[in-house]
Amino acid sequence: MNRGTRDIWWRMAWRNLWRNRRRTFLTASALSFGFVAASLMMGLMNGMMEEMVSNGTEVVTGQIQIHAQAYRPERSIHDTMGGREGLDVGALVAVAEAQEGVTGVAPRLYGGGLVSSGDETVGAVLMGVDPEREPRVSRFASVFVEGRMPGPDEVAVGAALADKIGIAVGDEAVLVAPAADGSTANGLFTVSGIYRLDLGGFDDSYALLEMGTLQDFLVMDRGRIHEVAISVDRVRAADPVAERVAVAVAGLSPGLVTEPWSVFLGQLYFVVSLASAMNSVVAFMIFGMAIFGVANTMLLATFERRREFAVARALGTSGVALGRIVVYEGLLLGVVALAAGAALAFPLLAHVHANPIDLSAFVGTYSFMGSAIRPQLTVEYSFQEPLVSAVALLGTGVVSALLPAWRVARLPPADVLADR
Amino acid sequence: MKKAAIRFILSGTLLATGPVLAAAPTAAQTPSEILEIIDDVDRMMQGASSAGSMRMEIDTEHWSRSLEMQVWSLGTDYSLIRVQSPAREAGTATLKVENEVWNYLPRADRTIKIPPSMMLGSWMGSHVTNDDLVKESRLVEDYDIVISYEGDRDGEDVWEFTMTPRPEAPVIWGRIEQRIRKRDRMPLWARYYDDDGTLARTMTFSDIRTMGGRTVPTRIAIEPADGEERTVITYVEIEFDVGLDEDFFSLRNLRARQ
Repeated sequence: MNRGTRDIWWRMAWRNLWRNRRRTFLTASALSFGFVAASLMMGLMNGMMEEMVSNGTEVVTGQIQIHAQAYRPERSIHDTMGGREGLDVGALVAVAEAQEGVTGVAPRLYGGGLVSSGDETVGAVLMGVDPEREPRVSRFASVFVEGRMPGPDEVAVGAALADKIGIAVGDEAVLVAPAADGSTANGLFTVSGIYRLDLGGFDDSYALLEMGTLQDFLVMDRGRIHEVAISVDRVRAADPVAERVAVAVAGLSPGLVTEPWSVFLGQLYFVVSLASAMNSVVAFMIFGMAIFGVANTMLLATFERRREFAVARALGTSGVALGRIVVYEGLLLGVVALAAGAALAFPLLAHVHANPIDLSAFVGTYSFMGSAIRPQLTVEYSFQEPLVSAVALLGTGVVSALLPAWRVARLPPADVLADR
Repeated sequence: MKKAAIRFILSGTLLATGPVLAAAPTAAQTPSEILEIIDDVDRMMQGASSAGSMRMEIDTEHWSRSLEMQVWSLGTDYSLIRVQSPAREAGTATLKVENEVWNYLPRADRTIKIPPSMMLGSWMGSHVTNDDLVKESRLVEDYDIVISYEGDRDGEDVWEFTMTPRPEAPVIWGRIEQRIRKRDRMPLWARYYDDDGTLARTMTFSDIRTMGGRTVPTRIAIEPADGEERTVITYVEIEFDVGLDEDFFSLRNLRARQ
């Protein structure tokens, strides 16, 4: 078959398509609408997942964390990075910061203890932070309802904890904790501020101290920290950055474990992965329904032309060639619908992306797996989902054409021409 | 009047001793034979007060330390323990009154009451919990006790008690076993099991001798079943019937440096 004869099948298919413009227009519209719907739903789903991941990782954890191998799950105060000798925190932070994609690096120290004021005492996690670096990774610094991040000999507490033991900014709080040397550390600290993250445990059982203050309190050297939390420029692309960081810090101290959020927030990652899989199901369902509608239309269209096909058969055209025309028609229909759908979908997605749909009239903010979810629908772009939709749409065109094509190919010319 | 000292060393941890079992008068599920043993000890213990000093040596995977402490007690409900050394922690004190525990923190110069959520936390960094300090008076209420063995063990005539928690009892152990020497009713050991039946920790009593006019185990070792860690409490001296009353066990005395 030379190029000319191949082209002619395409040309015939294209012309056939436009013999009944209204019908083609309606059929293509159905497919276009399916494409727009699928793209929008996937975009919204992605937007929701993006929101969950952002909130899940930007509030406290960061998108990447480094720990000593032994630190988790027990989180013993003794399992500091670099072992008992600790490591050069400044060097570690500098190396991590130098990696492409890293936007913030925050060293942290944890201890368990009691926070007390007057007659009230509650158990709390004492978290040592670098007040300069912490804001680049977590939201603590930006959610103070009163006061500010702690300086030396100061403590900042969550709003619920402050309520529980009745302390205000400027008050003194008693801190008690088992120190690293086994002694019972205790001391008075001035409350520098009260924050509200609106995230369960952090508001009612965390107390922030300046890193050096907490190290002194817990009788630990300056080189001893439990965690380095890292933020990245693209939340969903934390894995490759984590690999780069892991390689870069490996030389500083043995036994460091660098993990992206997809590992240390495994549940969240699972939900996000599930949502991605759901996207494919959505596409399958939308276009699965479309297949039957389009197939029905094409059956009708080919039935109308059965005499013409019979003539072509009688003149020696093979059944396969005729069937192929019908399949080409289906494919071309898909291409037309895709062009129209894309022309509609992309401006719509861009609009929703810029103007999220506000649902706060219907639902309040919800906290889910450590991630505060705002009641608004936004759209997140991605390559993958429109591609899936596009392939599904074209596939729909082709699959819809198979049954009509099979019937055309098996058309008995004599019977049709004789109206039998 | 033999076992008075033990209660006071560790308050609640020494369940095998008289004072531990003595506090609860009713125990419907516990056979009368055991109650008789308990009653016997109970009579000996009534109103006993004591004062003394002890050394607590703690070995953990990460550090070892030794604390010298002064201890006062009255019956099973009151005790006051004050750290004398090391100097850095001198003055740190614990007051136990019935089910409540207060700590005095000399650096902060504050007294705090241990909140219920922290009762399972370590006391002074040792393998004794705050909960251990207060649970003693509830043992007969919280557990059904049976004699699971009676006879010769290693050349000693002993009882072995098995305690299983009652259905609604607010306890953390799945089962407690203890061995008691018959001739002087001295505890030899107590073993604490988790809910799933695995041994969680062992308490061993030894160096039984006369101190302050009574026979007491002067060394108590508390060892978690996993690992090499342990806390050893050794009696240095003790006096009994020293004339303390309830007023002594006050928050004011908790703070007083002596």
